[in-house]
Amino acid sequence: MKIQGTGITKAFNRKTVLDINNFTVEDGDFWGIIGPNGSGKSTLLRLISKLTEPSSGEITYEPRDKEQSIKRSMTLVFQKPYLLRTSVYNNVAYPLQIRQIHPTEIRRKVEEMLTSFQIESLANQKAWTLSGGEAQKVALARALVFNPELIMLDEPTANIDPASIMLLEDRLRSHYQKSKPTVLMVTHNLQQTKRLCNKVAFMYEGKIHDYGSIEHVFGPDGTSLVKSFIQQGII
Amino acid sequence: MQNIFEGIKDALILLTTLDPEFYAIVRLSLFVSLTATVLASIIAIPSGIVIGIKDFPGKKIIIRVIYTLMSMPPVVIGLIIFLLLLRSGPFGHYRLNFTPTAMIIAQFCLVTPIITGVVVNGTKERGQDIRELARTFGASRTQTLWLLIRELRINIMSAIVTGYGRAISEVGAVMVVGGNIRGHTRVMTTTIAMLRNMGEYSLAIATGIVLLLISFFINSLLYYWQQER
Repeated sequence: MKIQGTGITKAFNRKTVLDINNFTVEDGDFWGIIGPNGSGKSTLLRLISKLTEPSSGEITYEPRDKEQSIKRSMTLVFQKPYLLRTSVYNNVAYPLQIRQIHPTEIRRKVEEMLTSFQIESLANQKAWTLSGGEAQKVALARALVFNPELIMLDEPTANIDPASIMLLEDRLRSHYQKSKPTVLMVTHNLQQTKRLCNKVAFMYEGKIHDYGSIEHVFGPDGTSLVKSFIQQGII
Repeated sequence: MQNIFEGIKDALILLTTLDPEFYAIVRLSLFVSLTATVLASIIAIPSGIVIGIKDFPGKKIIIRVIYTLMSMPPVVIGLIIFLLLLRSGPFGHYRLNFTPTAMIIAQFCLVTPIITGVVVNGTKERGQDIRELARTFGASRTQTLWLLIRELRINIMSAIVTGYGRAISEVGAVMVVGGNIRGHTRVMTTTIAMLRNMGEYSLAIATGIVLLLISFFINSLLYYWQQER
């Protein structure tokens, strides 16, 4: 899915928190969105995912143009995912159930996803009893199970153990290579950006300060602001 | 103290002798309160969810009005309904005063704000997270509302139990609009009030114990249903 934004602003209580002239995400890109806290990264994801309307400007999604069709072809995973008060199995099945997919197909896809994320033994466990790492695996499995064209991740591996981070990254990479969705991932983990993404955008004070390939943004051609933030360990 | 012990004994006798008049009173009490609670739930649950998650002008005032109505004295609600249903009143041509229908209307008005208020509170806490989850998967409005009801079911059950408890235990409203007519609008609470006036304390206590037992049974059913799901 290709996404284009023009003249995007977002203000809360008359304070502008996001102001982007234009941006383009090509179909099949894997973008890492980095920047210090309060730079507008999460707000940008909320706008693209249509959870929030922009104060001004427009975002277009190609090849889709109908509102419901756009919403049905993307998903957003939060840092602290909300899991439904039911079993792990039912959580992963939810996106398929609302798409009225045949129960046999739902069972096949959910079991495949649970195995892939090594959580098949948790299938019948109540979701509210899971640890942080397990909950995030369930959230990512639930996001990938319906094969969305656009996947947005808001700090998906923050506050979870290294083993779970490795597994989630591995599953994400594998899904990306297989299905080639467009991915936008907000992260504070520089190494993770280098491991997973092929493009990176650096946001600062509500604007996209620099963007491009990993080599460009993190290399000698990168801006002094990005270098200074990296040196100070802020991102 | 003697009256209480005799009341317990009389309660057992009432329950075991299958007195038709007493069982008619119990049936009418259950019918009126359950009907009022079900009708109120149909209106109050979706309203409470919508008020809880949506931001709109006047929301704070509406919530304050709901909270105020939650503590409205039943006798005042009974009086208002009675006046509206009087022959000279705006709905007088329906001739509903002193009928079980009027009692259901009065209890519906009493219970609706209670269920709405409890649901609003629960929705404010988690409703936004649930709504956003549904939207991140492209759920339709109906699917989102259904998910909210499913996810907030414990809160909704608490609201229904609270509403039902209020309906089955109130005496003021049903007394005013029903009139406590024997064999027609007499329910357990109005029977207790009447027996107290007649000095039949042990029989009043017995009726109260039966009322409590029924409430315990219905609450247990609701609690079991809530736990199972």
